[in-house]
Amino acid sequence: MGELAAEKHVQFILSVEKKKDSLEAVAMEHLRMNGAYWGLTTLDLLGKIQVLALFNKIDVLDVDKVASYKQIKSKRNKKILLNLIFNSDVAALQNKDGSFSGDMWGEIDTRFSYIAILCLALLHRLNKINVEKAVNYITHLNFDLPMPTAVFCCVGALAITGSLHHIDKDLLGWWLCERQVNSGDILIKSKAKPGGLNGRPEKLPDVCYSWWVLSSLVMIDRVHWIDKEKLVKFILDCQDIENGGISDRPDDAVDVYHTYFGVAGLSLLEYPGMKALDPAYALPVDVVNRIILGK
Amino acid sequence: MNEEELRRSEATMADLLNQFERILESDPQIDEVGFLHPSQFSELNKEAGHSPSFDDSTVLRSADGNSVFWNRDHKLGISTQILLPLYKTAKHAFMAASRQYKALNSKSDVSGDENSLCASLSLDNSFEGDVMKHSRALLLLSCDFGTAWHSRKLVVSHKHKLSDFLDELLLSALVLSYSPKSEYAWSHRQWIIKSIAGKCSTLSEIVTKDSELVEKIAERSKMNYRAWNHRCWLVTYMTREQLLYELKRSRNWASLHVADHSCFHYRSVRPCLLFVVILRDERLMLKILEEQCYKQEISSSGYSVETYQLWKEELDWDEMLIKRYIGREALWLHRRFLSLFWIKHFITNHTGVSSHGKQNNSMNNDFRIFMDNELHLLDSCSIIPDNSFDDYQSQAKHSATYILWLIKQIPDSRRIEFQEKLKTENLKALLNKACPERSSTWDSLVSYVEAAGH
Repeated sequence: MGELAAEKHVQFILSVEKKKDSLEAVAMEHLRMNGAYWGLTTLDLLGKIQVLALFNKIDVLDVDKVASYKQIKSKRNKKILLNLIFNSDVAALQNKDGSFSGDMWGEIDTRFSYIAILCLALLHRLNKINVEKAVNYITHLNFDLPMPTAVFCCVGALAITGSLHHIDKDLLGWWLCERQVNSGDILIKSKAKPGGLNGRPEKLPDVCYSWWVLSSLVMIDRVHWIDKEKLVKFILDCQDIENGGISDRPDDAVDVYHTYFGVAGLSLLEYPGMKALDPAYALPVDVVNRIILGK
Repeated sequence: MNEEELRRSEATMADLLNQFERILESDPQIDEVGFLHPSQFSELNKEAGHSPSFDDSTVLRSADGNSVFWNRDHKLGISTQILLPLYKTAKHAFMAASRQYKALNSKSDVSGDENSLCASLSLDNSFEGDVMKHSRALLLLSCDFGTAWHSRKLVVSHKHKLSDFLDELLLSALVLSYSPKSEYAWSHRQWIIKSIAGKCSTLSEIVTKDSELVEKIAERSKMNYRAWNHRCWLVTYMTREQLLYELKRSRNWASLHVADHSCFHYRSVRPCLLFVVILRDERLMLKILEEQCYKQEISSSGYSVETYQLWKEELDWDEMLIKRYIGREALWLHRRFLSLFWIKHFITNHTGVSSHGKQNNSMNNDFRIFMDNELHLLDSCSIIPDNSFDDYQSQAKHSATYILWLIKQIPDSRRIEFQEKLKTENLKALLNKACPERSSTWDSLVSYVEAAGH
């Protein structure tokens, strides 16, 4: 089995930031904030976030300040941060049935429930919403047609609010573990290697589901229902060993998004030498501890 | 580049943006946008040169003589060479207009003075026009520019005119013509339909047209889950007649498109399409069920004959496909969906009212017939011929997990009746034979199902 090319991935992430004036970069402009999250979290999981100092980025992005709301010493800064969040007023986007709208135009989706709950939990402001109703909305959804991304949002929101006892973990685990692709599966043969997870029946496996599916399995404690070793191998096979970065499946082009999900997946699978990741908060465990527990 | 050159190039770019926006203005029926490499212009010209309707206005050139836009028969091509500078200019123009529009709106909110309100209204109109003009240009270059979509919603909802909402449907379709998976373009459509629902007499027509649009896009772009998701969402706004019609059409469409008839072999089924067609069928069926619950209180005999028939037909259709296309996971998952509702709604007396003996008997009978059929299906699908293809192993695996799942779903009282026929250890043996690499998963699932039985 190949090994994780950590150094190469660090170089890859740092190189992405430099390509600013191409058509590709412009077309991705709306994803820059996401890109910052994927890149920074990956660096931290690999234990390499300090490399930013070499690039003089550390003064723009004080890692401690960003990571730990508790450690923002100056009261003024704290107030600015809170104002920033509450001017967009996350809590006001909760609807009567407990669901959340994404913005003033009213689209309702479980991803907005997750984001609202995550954001308010990080700010110690869950008391600003009706948590019971928010949980109730999620647990009464029709789960006949689950999608891994939606499952992650629901399970993550329940985990953060301490409400995982509301779901049938075995039944959900059953559906999630069926997402692992076996060597005999139709259309997988010859096209892709087994062990990876797919998002929907009969689709090719994709590294990003090693986040959506795997984190949900970890949260409901059913990760032993899949073959962990084969999944590790699948992710490692998706690396670009020469130039760094991870792709959706072996031999495809790499990007920051899949690099993060691959590294995050390996962390959840307890690959040696990596920092632990919190499956519900999607942040390194030590960061979550600092913010939530004040440790 | 010195200052003089910089100014000149900025002016050229502003001209280009103007030209672009004039084309969009003068041909509101443009229904397709694409990006062309400079070499493709000459090919298009050659083609057009042979056609009698060719005229010089087809190709538009920049000041230095290069072809930059191509516009004919309501199709628009943009040279890839100018994309980056044109995008930057459009973004700059849009951001400026949007700032002015917002500043003006917040001012007229604060001062209630009528004179200044009139003055600001005419200003408002011009800024509104600028926002709409530049955001359109911008979105045709960068489909997921959220701020631009957001500004358009602001302006349109401010003006409250149905025709403006309908124009937004056109713009969204135009964006989808070059970027069929654009999340923003699809969610813009949902916002429009939600906004005009109840206010527009032609809603059902619009919904039908939208459903057709998805079909058109699905035929062109290989696998577009976002488009099908929109089609599932449209189901909410359909009448019962539309739902039944769509369900019928969907089966015909599936038989035409799911299997690739150029090759008769079962491997040629397009699996993703099969899944999305099925997904939508499930939405349609749930909505039909919901409509009925809403319209009439469920009579003592449960659901109407029509709904019963609908479910039966779908179960038969699925079984036919399972036998034709060996080992398709999507078809087996669909069967779980169908069986769950069959058990819940038609067989077990879910109303909780104690029913007459006669009715109970007929329900018992229904259940027995159903279970016999499913066990028969298991028998015929669990045979793995020697020197067989993997597909038969997949089929056996799916049939065994299906039956395991069914055991979990049927009520305890019924389970006893079938205990002999539904031995979990047999199923486990079958699973281990069909797919030995997952034996620890099968252990977990079987012990879960067994625990549920006690």
